[in-house]
Amino acid sequence: MPPKRKAMPAGGSVISKAGRTSAMSTPGPATPRSLDSPMVSDVDEDLIDEDVTEAQKEHEELLNKESEEFVNSWAIGSSRFQKPAKQDYRDSASHFFGKRDFSWLQLKPDHKDCPLWIDPEKGTIVLERFNEHASKATDFLTAIAEPKSRPQYLHEYALTTHSLYAAVSIGLQPWDIISTLDRFLKTPLPDSVRDFITSCTKSYGKVKLVLKNNKYFVESVDAELLQTLLRDEVIGKLRIHGSDEITTSYAPTMGGLVIPGTQNAAGVHQAGLRQGDKKAGEQGEATKETELLATLNEEEDDEEDKEAVHAFEIPDSAVETVQKRCLDLQYPILEEYDFRNDDVNANLDIDLKPNTLIRPYQEQSLSKMFGNGRAKSGIIVLPCGAGKTLVGITAACTIKKGVIVLCTSSMSVVQWRQEFLKWSNINPDDVAIFTAESKNKFTGNTGIIVTTYSMVTNNRERSHDSKKMMDFLKGREWGLMLLDEVHVVPADVFRRVISSIKSHSKLGLTATLLREDDKISHLNFLIGPKLYEANWMELSQQGHIAKVQCAEVWCPMPTEFYDEYLRATSRMKRTLYAMNPRKFQACQYLINYHEARGDKIIVFSDELYSLKQYALKLGKVYIYGSTGQAERMQVLENFQHNPQVNTLFLSKIGDTSLDLPEATCLIQISSHFGSRRQEAQRLGRILRAKRRNDEGFNAFFYSLVSKDTQEMYYSSKRQAFLVDQGYAFKVITQLANIEKTPDLAFATAQERRELLQRTLVDNEKGTEEDVENDDLFGKISSRGRKKGTRRTAGTLGELSGAGDMAYMEQKKAANRTLKKNIKAGQSLFFKKIGREKEKALKKA
Amino acid sequence: MPRAIRGVLIECEPAIKSIIVHLDSVNNDIIIEDLDEQHLVVKENMVHSLKQKLEERLRETYRPEEPLADSD
Repeated sequence: MPPKRKAMPAGGSVISKAGRTSAMSTPGPATPRSLDSPMVSDVDEDLIDEDVTEAQKEHEELLNKESEEFVNSWAIGSSRFQKPAKQDYRDSASHFFGKRDFSWLQLKPDHKDCPLWIDPEKGTIVLERFNEHASKATDFLTAIAEPKSRPQYLHEYALTTHSLYAAVSIGLQPWDIISTLDRFLKTPLPDSVRDFITSCTKSYGKVKLVLKNNKYFVESVDAELLQTLLRDEVIGKLRIHGSDEITTSYAPTMGGLVIPGTQNAAGVHQAGLRQGDKKAGEQGEATKETELLATLNEEEDDEEDKEAVHAFEIPDSAVETVQKRCLDLQYPILEEYDFRNDDVNANLDIDLKPNTLIRPYQEQSLSKMFGNGRAKSGIIVLPCGAGKTLVGITAACTIKKGVIVLCTSSMSVVQWRQEFLKWSNINPDDVAIFTAESKNKFTGNTGIIVTTYSMVTNNRERSHDSKKMMDFLKGREWGLMLLDEVHVVPADVFRRVISSIKSHSKLGLTATLLREDDKISHLNFLIGPKLYEANWMELSQQGHIAKVQCAEVWCPMPTEFYDEYLRATSRMKRTLYAMNPRKFQACQYLINYHEARGDKIIVFSDELYSLKQYALKLGKVYIYGSTGQAERMQVLENFQHNPQVNTLFLSKIGDTSLDLPEATCLIQISSHFGSRRQEAQRLGRILRAKRRNDEGFNAFFYSLVSKDTQEMYYSSKRQAFLVDQGYAFKVITQLANIEKTPDLAFATAQERRELLQRTLVDNEKGTEEDVENDDLFGKISSRGRKKGTRRTAGTLGELSGAGDMAYMEQKKAANRTLKKNIKAGQSLFFKKIGREKEKALKKA
Repeated sequence: MPRAIRGVLIECEPAIKSIIVHLDSVNNDIIIEDLDEQHLVVKENMVHSLKQKLEERLRETYRPEEPLADSD
């Protein structure tokens, strides 16, 4: 087998450069994520790629480490902000709190009216939702902090560098933040937090790296600062000579920019007056008087406090060096894209269709992205089914430049293209697809390319076509890079993406910004800060997503099963707790109950063996990895339209990218360890229920758990994310009247024992291969290397299957008899002719 | 001559009983008599150590020992 061709060092260095650039450009979200134990990684759902050279890997590791240190240095907990507590205040209860005793923070006299608590070490803010001033505080907090957990009564927010920067970018001043925070707090603002806020806001965002006319500018409001930078020995040398020392212009404002499909996003919020699709530039035409006035006012304001911006130009090659140097000087550089003044890259003719209205929260998320009239990079988090795609499309319509969309599977590539055509007026020729099957280019000089992560990060030898396509992608500058389901992309893969494709701004979209392996913070600062995170509860109250009742059903293990469970290997344990007959009964009961109510039910099982057993026993349809494409479609079709088919069993291939708005009830019988993401994604399957706006409608989410097994532990872990979003899980220990279910499965001990025996025997003979890599609609990627071809010497005969054969006549006598028969069978007439001929010969 | 062993009657859930039986299967030094699904008689002097072992065991159950071993 010939050695595989790998990326040569030359490519490696390019990668390293860009990787570094990104690592340093948007530093530290510093979201301290502490999980009590490094739990199950769910790497198997991620895009892993194996074809990375060792050197590259090492390099990436180094980068990771560096970035991690950097992230930490920006956390509020770092020693930069924490001074040893001055007051040593101790009382009889102090020892309960150990080091985390903050009782030295004195309560204010009017603390009852203040809704906020703060943790001076971690920057965590706790909000009392039941306080009468809570709603005001919520608005303020969403502007300056990141939501962590939002159950009904107490909300938790975290102050991070990124959240503070976001606050600054929408125009809040450091002293505003400090004084407002101080007003809402029950205690005086701790000094550490005050220092943290000032230092973040002071150095953060003061220096910007702006791509204007395809030239990089270092930009700042503070001319002094720029002079300092220019005096710096490294940066000073890099300035492009011949250009003015420092150019001065005016700071961009949101002024003329209107996000399509929204109300005039320029700050004129007129409730109720939905103008629908107002395009940028047309703003003046369709206006109400009030709006005009508002715009006028704004212009006046602008003139008054228009800030002068100073900039100097640096060459493309020096970007990385400058960024790194600025970082050392404690002025981290931020990247923004001034797309309205970019006339080098061709404009794309794209707008939302006039009848498209985007929802308030979508508008809010986008206004965070385009806060100051420029495009910031970042991540938008919206629940499944809340219209992430539309947010992405609207962003594309706002920027109006070349767009590259990266998704996880070739199926979603097709979906994205369709969505683009559905919501915007873009010419279908301008939306091209780049997958293994089709490699199109757009016809005009700019357009949209939809592709998958694996196509772009693939380091293997490519086919001629895709190589040409990649060169095309690499050779261009893109206005916007849309990253769908961004949580699945590990940091190193992402580094490779940005190293090969140049884009001015990046927008990540996801529903579940979490990974069990804690790498999310890396992603967070590779792409940019979390710009917006929707409140699930609020959306469901407004009817954008379905209301869901969550329940955890505890099923005791019968003694014989539990005995076996204690002895089994961990693999077998999983099978056993999935096959628990009590669980089976609970499942049967719930299916009966909900079918009677007219619900459509999806049952999820990660364990293939139990999936099949359950489905066969209950006589329901099921789909798993090896179900053929045609059959899948048929089953799904039936589930959607056939009133006879109300229950569908799915393996984990149905976790994501499955759109079944009919489904209203979900039962989970086995799952992937403690994966919070899977739980949230599965819940997402019923959030877009068609009937969600019916009066009193509720969707149901049941998680069946075998008591006294590991499943209990996993289950509590899995729920963490949804609980943070405000969902409450009811625990059901006993299902009423379960024993009255007709044909209850495994009701007798005899049957249970048989089931146990069968399970053990079936699973003993080699663990069934139940690794599934594809989604419901086809392979995500051909993971794993293809088997190499093997060459052997051989003959053509072997190939045709004749290798071991020799010619042999079995009935030798047959031919002779045949001849005889032929002779014997001659008709009299010919015999006579024959004889006459012979006679004639003799005569002659 | 009849021999007597001081024992303690334990009443517990079937699952806990299973665990005790499983613990006993190593040395057979805990259980005197296995009565039914929920009842056991165990040696009195073993009760303390049994409680400890049981607690340990339950903790294990809730926090699996080898979460990553086969998560492929």
